[in-house]
Amino acid sequence: MNSVKSLVWQQFFALLRKECLEVWRDRRAVFTAIITCLLLPALTIGGIVYAIKNNAEDTFRLALLSRETVPLLEQRLADARLEVEIIQEGAAKELLENGFDLVLKVDDNFNSAFRNLLIPKLYLYMDSSSEGIRGQVTYLQRHLSGFQSVVARQRLIARGVAPQVLTPWQLEVRDVSAPSKRGALLLTMMPSMLILGIFVACLGASIDSSAGERERLSLEVLLQQPLAGPQIVLAKVLAVSSIGWLSGLVGVAGLVSVLPLLPLSELGIQYSVSLVAIPMMGLLLLPLSLLVAVAQMLLALRSQSFKDAQMQLGLLQIVPLLILFGLDMSKVDLEVPFWQFVPLVGQQQWLKALLVGETLSLPLVIAGSLVTLSLVGLCILVGARALQRERLLGAT
Amino acid sequence: MIRVESVEKQFVGKNVLKNLSFSVPDGRITALLGANGAGKTTCLRIIAGLLKADSGKVSVGGLDVARYPIAVRRQLGIVGDREGLYERLTVKEYLTFFAGAQGIAGEALAQALESVRDVLELDSLWCRRTKGFSQGERMKVSLARALIHRPGHLILDEPTRGLDVLAARLLRKTLLQLRSQGTAILFSSHVMAEVAELSDSVLVMSKGAIVGNGAPEELMHLSGTDSLEESFVALAYGIKGTGHAEGALL
Repeated sequence: MNSVKSLVWQQFFALLRKECLEVWRDRRAVFTAIITCLLLPALTIGGIVYAIKNNAEDTFRLALLSRETVPLLEQRLADARLEVEIIQEGAAKELLENGFDLVLKVDDNFNSAFRNLLIPKLYLYMDSSSEGIRGQVTYLQRHLSGFQSVVARQRLIARGVAPQVLTPWQLEVRDVSAPSKRGALLLTMMPSMLILGIFVACLGASIDSSAGERERLSLEVLLQQPLAGPQIVLAKVLAVSSIGWLSGLVGVAGLVSVLPLLPLSELGIQYSVSLVAIPMMGLLLLPLSLLVAVAQMLLALRSQSFKDAQMQLGLLQIVPLLILFGLDMSKVDLEVPFWQFVPLVGQQQWLKALLVGETLSLPLVIAGSLVTLSLVGLCILVGARALQRERLLGAT
Repeated sequence: MIRVESVEKQFVGKNVLKNLSFSVPDGRITALLGANGAGKTTCLRIIAGLLKADSGKVSVGGLDVARYPIAVRRQLGIVGDREGLYERLTVKEYLTFFAGAQGIAGEALAQALESVRDVLELDSLWCRRTKGFSQGERMKVSLARALIHRPGHLILDEPTRGLDVLAARLLRKTLLQLRSQGTAILFSSHVMAEVAELSDSVLVMSKGAIVGNGAPEELMHLSGTDSLEESFVALAYGIKGTGHAEGALL
């Protein structure tokens, strides 16, 4: 009995070694994996930097177009964000074309109308196709409105009326969300990108070791050996997933090293990854890598050729990501424990929680990972059956 | 001994093998002749357990292929019509894998590797990856893979296809050596001179059935011809005389 067990292991290790050599010597697959694990975190970080830049309060230029001097506006409009330049003559359109973000045109009789308590007019010119114009207009409107309110209060006080009559209530906005939740909104993207990275990294190797081996005519030789179908599929899955897992690990390492350097607090994101969370994330990606590898191999084995497999799997790559984004954007409550048992969704939720410093329920994580591993086992058996198909040898 | 008894096989409603029966005794070389599409490769794949017969029985070394496919594969060495090399592995790595797949390890592995390296003159190829190998080199490596576990039964599907003179001579020498060691050898070929030189008995297949079975001389006698090629043409195609349709024999 022991010698049979030892023979099975001996065969398996020979097979695993061969599969690993094949996968890791496939330059195309390794290149894809390296590019993926570097590119996806870079894209995520790029997105964050862009969001921070957009969120930042850049200064903008305002042309105050007025024939007469309007000291009231000249003195009060300029502030840290707003550069005001007084222009006496010119067309608003030309000024906008010559580098001004906004043009505020003042009525010719502004000063006398203001003094006589009439309502002088101000005209705001803008180019709505300019980037960030909405924010600048809103800022200016808010700025003018605040100033208008100050003038109104002064006028009321001068006439012996309490200024409070103009303020029946005051609205103050207070954000009660936890910092971790605010961070989670944007950090949702990162686990999905890591998961997509595993899909992309495994792609080349999984097709090569299934449809590729079939096309190179070496699959028949492999099937002539005294090896059990599950042994063959398991060895292939381990070899292929090793490349996906490593890519995932490098992705995690890249994220946790670069994210602390970014000014995430400007976006209201609290990023917090403990030292324990980093290896934990690596472990969580392992069952997922196995599942991705076996699922891709099953699909590739069904394809007619290497190219056919490439096309089909290439298109299917995006599906899991769409599901994850779809679930995140829908009103589905993903915090319900059920979702932790669903492969991909569970891993996404755990990674997200670890990135924002939340603690995980270990029993749920173990149970969810076991569900994923069971699915891997089932797929291996299905793959072993697929290897017995006569069509696989091009026999029919 | 390889024994094939009343084997039938259909693909998409077409009878590919019809009531096929023959045996390949130990210590003998049996040639399987047949036109393209006669069913030779299907027959060899059924013996290897890669395809299942619809009916009938195949046994290798007394073991039923359908019931004990794994045990049968330990007794079989197969050189198919496709070399199936792993181009990213060196010859040594390639053969080490197949020896491991047969359960050979440790000192036995080293001995098995050295043996095939010497017999098949693989020294110059040993540490090279198999990508870019010539047809002859590919065949040598493929044969080494089939022999690494010293099988009692050897199946070769058109082994001399594309080989140069030296490689073909080496193959013939190896087969004769294996026969003398008691190996049961079944090979398919289209090269009549090679079949005549090597084989102890010849099976002629046509449209999925055996239409001739015996020593080359017996087949020539049966078909009333004076060469094996004429005999094959007469038996397989029913044509007597090279290039002339002089009438069906069967």
